[in-house]
Amino acid sequence: MRLGEALQIIGQATGGKKVGVHLLCGFEPLYLATFMRARLALRFADAKIELLTGLFGDLEGNIDRARGHSSAGAIVAIEWSDLDQRLGLRTSAGWSLATLDDIAVQVEEKCGRLQKALAALGAALPVAVLPPALGLPPLTHIPPRLTGAFELRLRAALIGLLQRLCDRDGIRIANESGLPTERHDVRMDLHAGFPYTLAYADAVAELAVDCLFPKAPKKGLITDLDQTLWKGILGDAGVDGVSWSLEGKSQAHALYQQTLGSLADSGVLVAIASKNDPNPVEAALQRPDMLLSAAQVFPVEVGWGAKSAAVDRILKAWNVGADSVVFVDDSPMELAEVAEKHPGIECLLFPPDDPAAVVALLWQLRARFGKSEIREEDRLRLNSLRSVAAIPEAADVEASADFLARLDAKMTFAGGSADARAFELVNKTNQFNLNGVRYTEAAWKALMRRPSRFVATVTYEDRFGPLGKIAVLGGSVQPDFVCVDLWVMSCRAFSRQIEFQCLRQMFAKTGKQEIRFRFAATERNGPLQTFFAHLLSAPTGEDELRLRIDDFVRLCPTLHHQVNDEWTLSEIN
Amino acid sequence: MDAVRDKLSRCFALAFPKLDPAQYADASAENVEGWDSIAQLTLLTVIGEEFGREIDFEEFEGATSFAALERALQVQ
Repeated sequence: MRLGEALQIIGQATGGKKVGVHLLCGFEPLYLATFMRARLALRFADAKIELLTGLFGDLEGNIDRARGHSSAGAIVAIEWSDLDQRLGLRTSAGWSLATLDDIAVQVEEKCGRLQKALAALGAALPVAVLPPALGLPPLTHIPPRLTGAFELRLRAALIGLLQRLCDRDGIRIANESGLPTERHDVRMDLHAGFPYTLAYADAVAELAVDCLFPKAPKKGLITDLDQTLWKGILGDAGVDGVSWSLEGKSQAHALYQQTLGSLADSGVLVAIASKNDPNPVEAALQRPDMLLSAAQVFPVEVGWGAKSAAVDRILKAWNVGADSVVFVDDSPMELAEVAEKHPGIECLLFPPDDPAAVVALLWQLRARFGKSEIREEDRLRLNSLRSVAAIPEAADVEASADFLARLDAKMTFAGGSADARAFELVNKTNQFNLNGVRYTEAAWKALMRRPSRFVATVTYEDRFGPLGKIAVLGGSVQPDFVCVDLWVMSCRAFSRQIEFQCLRQMFAKTGKQEIRFRFAATERNGPLQTFFAHLLSAPTGEDELRLRIDDFVRLCPTLHHQVNDEWTLSEIN
Repeated sequence: MDAVRDKLSRCFALAFPKLDPAQYADASAENVEGWDSIAQLTLLTVIGEEFGREIDFEEFEGATSFAALERALQVQ
């Protein structure tokens, strides 16, 4: 992005609800602030961006002062000159041996103070830390081809600081290693105190905004087999003829398999869509040298029909939208056919003859699916989807009721105001979502601090295994009714009458006769609208829906869940 | 001459979005709110992008009006 484009984006921003973000640095923020405003305007299209900066040359003070202001988050750009001014180009205090020793001591002390200041800031609001992007000045007698003890001592202090911060809740450390290498604009540094080139300022602004406000990761990956998961055509080469190894000159496929295995371990859904005969595919997937185990893949769609039809069946089995999915194939024609039938799906070409391009593809996949933390629910996702296939279609109501009675279902209700999974579910659930409202971390924390709020999580398991925490309910208890403004449920938990049990518990827990829902119809919450249409006499589309307890009792089916109530009354007051 | 003026006007529109284009010709750091040293750097960088040339900030330091910038750009 050029500076002119950034200014244009800022100028065109319409403004709305204010989103404040701190940009904390010791240098003049100049173009970094401009690019940051533009990137934030792109990220929060309906918001009025307020970028809060601090004083020149006082990073530590700026961090301390930011704690006193509420904002959606803080971006902290550290440079060596913030650790000791003599490590920048704007001071002339000398680079004698005695000075160097003093610099090292100062840097170590400063790192200790910054750690405390940043930890305190991270406890108050989300923080993205940008480690130093610029090199050290030529201040030692060591030739540039060598790394000396002085430089290593400084780097050790910095790495120690970042390592200690990395484990802190609310703090994420940006990885700037992939950004442009031409970073230092010495002329501008000396002239105005702004050290970055325009290209670097733009790139680091984009990185920082991505770190602070990460996009929701994709949920599933559908892969082709021949010339993609392995080298060779299974139908021609046979089960033992396809390869993924150095010896077979097909190591790129091994790396791809390894990546898919690792993604599956982190909760990403992996499925296969292949034009092949089923039997040899089954045999090939069972080969002991496979790096992606058959157990990590569901479903496997193998046949001679259109790939788009296979993708359609996979999306149904996963119960996710095409826009949450990546499709990988070596054939541009297959990619185009799937893209045409499933607008929104991201189609990526597997380049079997270009290992460097395969590695670039693997990084692309990490970017699409990466998450900062793996939760219990990520581990459970695949098994719970397999179990969904065992639950009868809703149309067969009698069979379904009988089946549900034998599920041995257990539901646990617990307070969720401090549960990171509750925040995650609210921000990623589309289909069973009361109003589609998304929250920044800071807004979520502020909401949880409001008096008279309650938030409960729902954990579910049955004889097919645990689903983990799959629903979140939230709102406030009023004198005559319960106001619910948060209600989401994972699509993995559909068809188990969990939604009815949620409402029953809500009535029982609060002792109120009426629930009022702050509802909003969205493009994606059709399943919730269908549920409300069944339960409420008033049509959906109104922004406040009311449910009386007598109507609920009349319409609620027989429920068979065993309920474990860990949700204390104090959490509703 | 018109080409320089048109391009410079586009730069002013980006750097000073609240300024009425009718006032560009008489605009200077004296009478435009927010035209400080930081705004001057931003304006000069946008000019560099628009005109496709590297701007020497020190050389343009005294060019703090539309007219002065127009003259300096025509000379170069």
